[in-house]
Amino acid sequence: MMLAVGLTVKRGAFTLELNNTLPLQGITALFGRSGCGKTTMLRAIAGLDRHAGAEVQCGAIVWQQGSLFMPVHQRRIGMAFQESSLLPHLSVEQNLLYGFKRLAKQTDIQLKPEQIIQLLELAPLLQQAPEQLSGGQRQRVALGRALLSQPQLLLLDEPLASLDQQSRSEILPFLQRIASQTGIPMLLVSHQLDDVVKLADHLVLMHEGRVVSQGPLQQQLLQPELAAIGAMSLLHAKSHGSKQHLLKLSIGKQQLQLPAPLHAASVEQTAYRLRILARDVALSLKPLSESSVSNQLQVSISGFNSAPHPAETLVQLTLEGQPLQALLTKQSLERLGLQIGQPVYAQIKAVALD
Amino acid sequence: MPELFATLSPQDWQAIRLTLKLCLYTTVILLLLGTPLAWWLSLSHSKLRTAIQAIVALPLVLPPTVLGFYLLLLLGPHGAVGSSLEQLGLTHLAFSFSGILIGSVIYSLPFTVQPLLESFRRMGPRPLEVAATLGAGKLDQLFSVILPLCRGGFIVAATLTFAHTLGEFGVILMLGGSIPGETQVLSVLIYDHTEAMNYAQAHQLSLGLLITAFMVLFIVYGLNRRFEREVPI
Repeated sequence: MMLAVGLTVKRGAFTLELNNTLPLQGITALFGRSGCGKTTMLRAIAGLDRHAGAEVQCGAIVWQQGSLFMPVHQRRIGMAFQESSLLPHLSVEQNLLYGFKRLAKQTDIQLKPEQIIQLLELAPLLQQAPEQLSGGQRQRVALGRALLSQPQLLLLDEPLASLDQQSRSEILPFLQRIASQTGIPMLLVSHQLDDVVKLADHLVLMHEGRVVSQGPLQQQLLQPELAAIGAMSLLHAKSHGSKQHLLKLSIGKQQLQLPAPLHAASVEQTAYRLRILARDVALSLKPLSESSVSNQLQVSISGFNSAPHPAETLVQLTLEGQPLQALLTKQSLERLGLQIGQPVYAQIKAVALD
Repeated sequence: MPELFATLSPQDWQAIRLTLKLCLYTTVILLLLGTPLAWWLSLSHSKLRTAIQAIVALPLVLPPTVLGFYLLLLLGPHGAVGSSLEQLGLTHLAFSFSGILIGSVIYSLPFTVQPLLESFRRMGPRPLEVAATLGAGKLDQLFSVILPLCRGGFIVAATLTFAHTLGEFGVILMLGGSIPGETQVLSVLIYDHTEAMNYAQAHQLSLGLLITAFMVLFIVYGLNRRFEREVPI
C-alpha cells in the first residue's frame, strides 16, 4: 500500500511543499528538525487540517482531492499525539473502547479488546482515571485506543517526545511489538534520531518544508545530514541462539558474538537489528590477534565522506552487502593508506541490539 | 420566612410567577443561541470575531435604559420590527411579555457567552481531534466530549443568566412598563411598591430577591470551584 501526499502550505516565510509517495509497510519515520513541516504533513494526512489544493490518497482510496474531502472520522486512521490525549472524563477502559464502539457494523475486526489489553499490558489500568496514570502508561492506553479503532494506518505524532527517558524506553518495545504483531503500517513523526533508528524500517528525511530523501533506514543512515547528527550504521543479523550468555549472530558468512539480552522475550527472536556508532568501529589491515575486541569482520572500503569534525573522515564500508560506517581521523587514514575497494578488518567495539 | 410570605398579595405572586417564567425562558433561549455563538468565538480568528465579541459585551457597559430605549424604538408600533409585525396582522412587541423576553435575551447574552467561551477555550481543540480520529462525527463529539467536558461552563452559564435576568430592571421598565401579568416583574413591582410608599411589601419582596440571588451565586461559585478541579490538563 502506498500513501500519496501533495501539499503546499505557506506560513510567513516558511513554505511546505510536498509531492511524495510513501510506502506503507512497517514503520516509516518522518524525520527532521522541529519546524520542518513534519507535523503539518501528518495533520494533513489525518484530515485534521484542510489545506486548499492538497491531495491525499491512501492505497486505492482518495482522502482529499479538489473539492473532495473525506472528514477525519471517516478515514480509517488511528492517531497518537505528543502529549496525553486521553479523554479526561472517561476511565481507561472507556477511553480504550471509545473508537471500538463507534465502528461500523460491517467492519472486519482484526484486533479485539482482549488482544490489545494483553499486547499492551493494560489489564491492571482499566478501572483507573487517566489522571492517575504515568506519562508512559497514558501513551500506551492512547496507542491501544487507536489500534482498537481498527485503523489501516497509524499516525504517531512524536508520541515519545513528552516522556522522560525511562517511560520512553518502556514505550519503545510496545511500538515494536505493535508493528510486528499487528502488521498495521505506521507513520512516525520524530526529531529524535535515537527513536527513529530503533523503530523505523523506512526513513523520510525532511528539511525546511521539503522531503530531502527517503528510502530504507539502512541506506538513509549514510546521508550526510544524518551523519552530522551522529554517524551510525544499522546491520541486519540472524540469531543462532545463545550460549553462556553470549548471543551468536551471523551476517552473511561472518559471525559475531554479543552479550545476550537478559529479558526472556528475546529467546525466540531470530532476527536482530544491530546499531553501531561509526566511532565504535576501528579498522586494521590485518586481523588483530592480540586485542580484547573479539568481533572482527571482513569488510571492503566503498567510499569516503567528510565528517562534521575537520580532522575526521567517515569511511563507508561494505559488509556482506550491508553498509557500515567507521569514523577515523585523517591521520590514521593516511597512515594505513586506505583506498576504495581495499579489503580491511573492522573491529566493532560496541553494539546496541534491537 | 413563612410569616413573611404569608402576607404576599395575589399581585405579588403574579409578579413572582412572571419573573420565574421570564428567567426560565431567557435561560433556555440563551443556552440554545449562546452555545453556537460561544463556539464560533472560540474558534474564529477573523476580524468579525472582535466586532461580535464587542457587541456581545455591550450590555455589560451600557446603561440598561439605552438598550431599552433602542429596543422600544425597534419593537414599538413605529419601529422596523414592530411595524412589520403590524403589517402582517400581528401586534407590535412593546409593552408585551415577548418584548421583554427579547430585551432579557440581549441584556443577559454576555452572562451566557462568557462562561461558555471560557470553558470551550479551556478544553481546547485536542479532545475533539482525538474523538474525530476515533470515528466520532460532529454531533457525536458534542454529546460525548463537549457536553461532559464543559459541563461546568454550561451550569455556570445557565445559573448566571437566570440570576442576571432576575435582577433586570431598566430594560423592562423602558420596554415593557409595568403591566401586571404581562411585564410587571419583581424588580418593577418593588419599584412600584416603593413609589406608592408600601415599604413593608417592597421590603419583603426585596429581601426575598436578595436571599435568592445570594443563594444562586453561592451555588455558582461552589460549582465553579468543583469543576475547576475537574477540568482536564
